[in-house]
Amino acid sequence: MAEKPQAVRVLYCGVCSLPAEYCEFGPDFEKCKPWLRVHVPDLYPDLLKGEFAFVLFFLPSSLLIHPSIDVYSFLEAADADKAAQQLQSMTISGSGDAGTAPSGSTSASKQDEVKRLPGGKIKKKEKQEVVIEKIVRNKRKCVTVVKGLELFGVKLSDASKKLGKKFATGASVVKGPTEKEQIDVQGDISYDIVEFITDTWPDVPETAIFFIEDGRKVPAA
Amino acid sequence: MFKKFSFEDISAQNQVKASVQRKIRQSIADEYPGLEPLLDDILPKKAPLIVTKCQNHLNLVVVNNVPLFFNIRDGPYMPTLRLLHQYPDVMKKFQVDRGAIKFVLSGANIMCPGLTSPGGALDEEVSGETPVAIMAEGKQHALAIGFTKISAKDIKTINKGIAVDNMHYLNDGLWKMERFE
Repeated sequence: MAEKPQAVRVLYCGVCSLPAEYCEFGPDFEKCKPWLRVHVPDLYPDLLKGEFAFVLFFLPSSLLIHPSIDVYSFLEAADADKAAQQLQSMTISGSGDAGTAPSGSTSASKQDEVKRLPGGKIKKKEKQEVVIEKIVRNKRKCVTVVKGLELFGVKLSDASKKLGKKFATGASVVKGPTEKEQIDVQGDISYDIVEFITDTWPDVPETAIFFIEDGRKVPAA
Repeated sequence: MFKKFSFEDISAQNQVKASVQRKIRQSIADEYPGLEPLLDDILPKKAPLIVTKCQNHLNLVVVNNVPLFFNIRDGPYMPTLRLLHQYPDVMKKFQVDRGAIKFVLSGANIMCPGLTSPGGALDEEVSGETPVAIMAEGKQHALAIGFTKISAKDIKTINKGIAVDNMHYLNDGLWKMERFE
């Protein structure tokens, strides 16, 4: 029994953030495959060897004869779908040949990787939209909640004052369970609210306003 | 359990007093004796321990903006999968067979047949209502963390129904938040 168990360093896939062996259950195995090939080629040998037969068809004869390519490892790396593309990129990394066309493809795939990074990390989604919700307070009375105005650079205290004045009802700024704040306006003003928002604050496009009706609805309707 | 868990589910974050911190450390040490020598590394006494309260009576123990343990209502503290991957031997292990993997990875609870079929393995000494690590057939790393409903012996004899509740699995909401702000 070890006196102090050492921390095991786990290799997490760069694409799906799961431990490398679980990539096949991850959201997108195809995207993980190139990463896996580079970092842990021995984990999925059967998968890659299965494409051996397909790849043979695509192999240009010149590459077969090329002395500096280790054909076996090269084939191991090739994927049936993008066989030609992968072949060319592998020659570049494998043998150091300068290829003109494939360099474009590798940079494109790198860009894809960069975009995919949020797969495992915290995302701070800040979609600029205004959400309007109606909450029934008593049987007759309800409150219209406007969320998301601050994303458009609108000062909420000013906004609530204007709303209250315009509709001759009470309006206040309320804090939600987290940092988010919302404006509560007494009464049901969902009909006029869209027009009012777009008139007073021209920055807010009509398309960015959503009503909540068991799922979001696009406004101007 | 963490199927949908995001930043907005957090209702409060408080740094706890030293007495509460000691209690948490003590209960974690009781639950996971294998973790005792490491307790000072992962839960240092001097570091501010933050307990984050979330929906559904869920508490997260956070140190240095990294969630380490969680518990529900006042139940036993369970490590997050990231922590478990680093120290795999602190928890008892159950193994499920291959076919169950994809269901567990979408949050399903573990049924008895998944553990009793060839390909699954049970640790006989495990009693009911304990946290266990769930491994997968053919994989080296833990797949999920669960809370047994019935003891291992009952799982073998009854062989029907839910054996382990799936509390935390790979690529769920809690896994995706490896660091807080």
